[in-house]
Amino acid sequence: MTPVLANRALDLTILALTAAAMLSLGIVGGYTQFVIGLVAIWTILCVGLNVLYGLTGLVSLGQVGFFAIGAYGHAILMQAGLSFWLALPLATALTALVGALLAIPAVRMAGPFLAMVTIAFAFIVEHLAIEWRSLTGGQNGLMGFDMPRVFGTTLGERGLVILSIGTAGVALLAYRRLANSGWGMAMAALRDQEVAAGSLGFDPIRTKLAAFAVAAGAAGLAGGLFATLMQFIAPSNFMLSQSILFLFAVILGGAGTVLGPLVGAAIVVFLPEMLSGLAEYRLLFFGALLIAVLLVAPRGMVGTIAAVLPRRAAPTPPAQHEETLAFIRPDAPAGLKVTDLGITFGGLKAVDGASFEAKPGQITAVIGPNGAGKTTLLNMISGFYLPGRGRIATAGRDITGLSMHAAARLGVARTYQATRLFGALSAEENVIAGLPRGRGGAPFSALATQDARATARGLLALVGYAGAPDTPAADLPHVDRRLVEIARALALRPHVLLLDEPAAGLMHGDKQTLAALLRKVADCGIAVVLVEHDMEMVMGISDRIFAMDAGQPIAFDTPDAIRRNEKVIAAYLGDGTPEAPKRELAYVPGAMDVLITRKLCAGYGAADVLQDVDLRVGQGELVALLGANGAGKSTFLKTLSGLMAPGKGEIILEDRNIDALPAHRIVEHGLVLVPEGRQVFADLTVAQNIELGAYKRKDRPEASELETILDRFPRLRERMDSPAGLLSGGEQQMMAIARGLMAKPRLLLLDEPSLGLAPAMVEELYAVLAEMRDDGITILLVDQMATLALAVADRAYVLEQGRIVAQGNAEEMRGDDALVAAYLGGGTSQTREDVA
Amino acid sequence: MTLFVTALVTGIGLGAMYGLIALGFQITYSVCSRVNFAQGSMVMLGAVLGFVLTQRAGLPVIVAYPLALLGCGLMGMLVELCLVRPFAVRGSEAWLMATVAGGILLDNTVLFTFGNEPRSLPSPLVETSWQILGTGVFPQQLLIPVAAIGCAVALQLLFRRTRQGRALLAVVQNPDAARLMGINTTLMISGSFALSAMLAGAAGLLIAPLFSVHSDMGTLFGIKAFAVAILGGMTSAWGVMIAGFLYGLVEAFVTTYLGSSHTYILTFALLIAVLAVKPHGLFGQAALRKV
Repeated sequence: MTPVLANRALDLTILALTAAAMLSLGIVGGYTQFVIGLVAIWTILCVGLNVLYGLTGLVSLGQVGFFAIGAYGHAILMQAGLSFWLALPLATALTALVGALLAIPAVRMAGPFLAMVTIAFAFIVEHLAIEWRSLTGGQNGLMGFDMPRVFGTTLGERGLVILSIGTAGVALLAYRRLANSGWGMAMAALRDQEVAAGSLGFDPIRTKLAAFAVAAGAAGLAGGLFATLMQFIAPSNFMLSQSILFLFAVILGGAGTVLGPLVGAAIVVFLPEMLSGLAEYRLLFFGALLIAVLLVAPRGMVGTIAAVLPRRAAPTPPAQHEETLAFIRPDAPAGLKVTDLGITFGGLKAVDGASFEAKPGQITAVIGPNGAGKTTLLNMISGFYLPGRGRIATAGRDITGLSMHAAARLGVARTYQATRLFGALSAEENVIAGLPRGRGGAPFSALATQDARATARGLLALVGYAGAPDTPAADLPHVDRRLVEIARALALRPHVLLLDEPAAGLMHGDKQTLAALLRKVADCGIAVVLVEHDMEMVMGISDRIFAMDAGQPIAFDTPDAIRRNEKVIAAYLGDGTPEAPKRELAYVPGAMDVLITRKLCAGYGAADVLQDVDLRVGQGELVALLGANGAGKSTFLKTLSGLMAPGKGEIILEDRNIDALPAHRIVEHGLVLVPEGRQVFADLTVAQNIELGAYKRKDRPEASELETILDRFPRLRERMDSPAGLLSGGEQQMMAIARGLMAKPRLLLLDEPSLGLAPAMVEELYAVLAEMRDDGITILLVDQMATLALAVADRAYVLEQGRIVAQGNAEEMRGDDALVAAYLGGGTSQTREDVA
Repeated sequence: MTLFVTALVTGIGLGAMYGLIALGFQITYSVCSRVNFAQGSMVMLGAVLGFVLTQRAGLPVIVAYPLALLGCGLMGMLVELCLVRPFAVRGSEAWLMATVAGGILLDNTVLFTFGNEPRSLPSPLVETSWQILGTGVFPQQLLIPVAAIGCAVALQLLFRRTRQGRALLAVVQNPDAARLMGINTTLMISGSFALSAMLAGAAGLLIAPLFSVHSDMGTLFGIKAFAVAILGGMTSAWGVMIAGFLYGLVEAFVTTYLGSSHTYILTFALLIAVLAVKPHGLFGQAALRKV
């Protein structure tokens, strides 16, 4: 998508170049005319390939096959007595049809699989051309085709070249318009973010089929002109390496740019002519040039130049606030009713019997600890997963099992936990992408009309986006991405809006603005479904709350009732049933800390998830790090272990600074993380898994050492030779800890060891943790079962929104209000400030 | 009967070859979801280095062939370093075209340095042929499947029994957890490309005595082996070996009974048909999608 002014300039440039090319034929010799004709033919083919590769992001190494079908089709039809003007469109249509047919299996594949299918196709066509002698003349080829006749005169070679140039000009103009249409938007959306494209209503299969057909048709048209211009075609014209050159021309010129194919075609065709003395080095040269372009100027020549030109979007006043509200107000408000919804992944019931109703005009929140199945629930409602059982209904229709784009077209819009904007498109264009609700519309009519742009800017203003509308989404800060994604979802005019953790990573002030926005959206009559970890926000704005734990629904009620619900509190804080042994001898702080962090900051992109975290763990101490989901606990552990780079601050392990080291070096220094979700090597045996824990040790671990570890985890002893993937969750957790112990850690980090385990197993696990603590192993523990973690810990820290808000002796913290506040929000901000 | 035996022996030999080269695709794809599209050129490089070291430098086979394989391994690492890693870091898919271009570059460099006239690599195993069920078979033809299966088994042993091999498996199964064990994943990826190129080089050395050695001898082998890897589903080593034998046998029987003119058309049409029904290959599985 390009701004209107640039479009006009582009159209004029194409017309001027076309005219100039035609006029130049008057002053150049016959052979140069022929070469110009070839450039035009290559341009036509490359424009088609640009639709497929540049716009839709699909790599085809089989374009030469379509080129050949067009050439042979045209030649054979001509020799059968058809006129040029009839044969050419027929051959083009035939090629487009073949392209669409090939696309039917191809569009379901990705990357190397797709590349292979197109290569196989090109081989089949090449060998058919060789072997089907009665039709193609075999290796001898076909020759002598009639030139086209115009108004009773037969065109000469120059006439044909003029025709080819004109066709290339039309192709470039058509590409420019296609790229700006609803279809072009659908293609670009698929290229940038296939999943998000589906949730805007774009049909991936139909769009990819169209792209394939257009690319094939263009190659067929080019092939027909090529046969006539050459007057001779043979299989040697259509070898696989030709396909690579076509793709090379598009990449060199600039994939996804309007003029790129022209520039690329001109270079690839002209260059060997100019270096005729070095013709044999042609491929060597092209190979080196392609690598250089990919490395140095991945946007190609036109793309690189365009990137430095100013983007001049004509200013458009945004639609008025009232107008925008009227725009998103559903004509017939409708809620969402989910009944007994369930899905199973490999035996695990990720969601089991979820039922709730989201009424229009209300905010319905879905809450639950990590692994509760909240996102999976949204995925089923939005059509990303096929539910195993149950029903989803909205607006009087059963939408269970519909694909994403079908659900979106029926008015179910969503956002994602990790935002999924179209990075190459501007903020405004991202919103415009939602407007057509996935309908392509007329292939050559612009999507970004003045009205559409005003609406989009109105939506951006509504969500509180204050940045420039023409900033590419990839360059936006975190907060703005969230806002633009909500604006994009609203552009669909949904009656159900699903939001997956919209407040994650936002600052306190931004969260309040977001809450106000969601209220406003709901007041328009939209049914808002909110998955969110920030309890303060959830409790503040929700009308109803659906709580779940480990896939099971536990409550559906008003915020006040949820806050008092015993089951909900138990799910968040641990229900207190599993017991953990206390220390028999009190912990005596040693002289030296094993770990110290100073003003540690870290995060993804613009927003810091961790802010100035100061924390220390003493020798032999067990320290618990507590906080709600999304508070930054896992990020902290990942940063310590080197999986994430710290933004600022220091991490000191014993007397070494380890904040600049890569993960594999940090292990060497004795900091070992047992990650969340166990992360076992599923196909390796338990013994091999545990042994890998000692990978970085200089000494060979002795058998007695393994015995000591196995004494802690007797359950593992009889499972040593079975693949780790077959172990139960609790056994996997024990194995992961055993694996960590094998590294002889100076500090062991445990991330959510109790997650997803049955209560009896949790108790067994915590008994082992207590034993390890009593044996003097230094541990930093993160667990969402706060009461349990506090039962084994010596000291604890509470993390909230990336900051330490409380710390102290574990015994004292067990009754601390700040802790409950951090998990369930609301009413205790006083306490928090006192502590901070 | 004679035709049948010929087709069978040829098919198994070719299939073993395709399987061996395809294992190279499988290894890198498992480790980092990327492949070296210049794999065919690595086949050629193995054969050419073998030829140069034995015929021109006069080294004995026992020294020359390991050196040739070492050369292939280094080239594989170079490809990863220059043509894959820079794009992987950016999250770009351009490594696909970059490695294709790398193959073109390598083929043409060999063309201008080694020359373009085909040469044959002598081997005592193609001097006399054995009569098996009335068909003349070179011992080399029998060596190929034995050596290929031997390589595949050795590879599995390497993965299962050695420290570095297990580390590589760990990276395949869970890259983040592997880093937490202290495994240097960057180095492992580099190593997988080296191993991949060495397998291709070994294939090149094995087939060189039967075919001629020249700069684009690897292209078709590379493409067919890629077809085999895709057919096998890219991620399962045994799936890839089985797909290799299937492909080789189909190719040999079509060629023997229907004539070589049908070979490409039928084998590749069959490939598209199989992928249309099973888009992840015969032995591949769709990964669970997450958002």
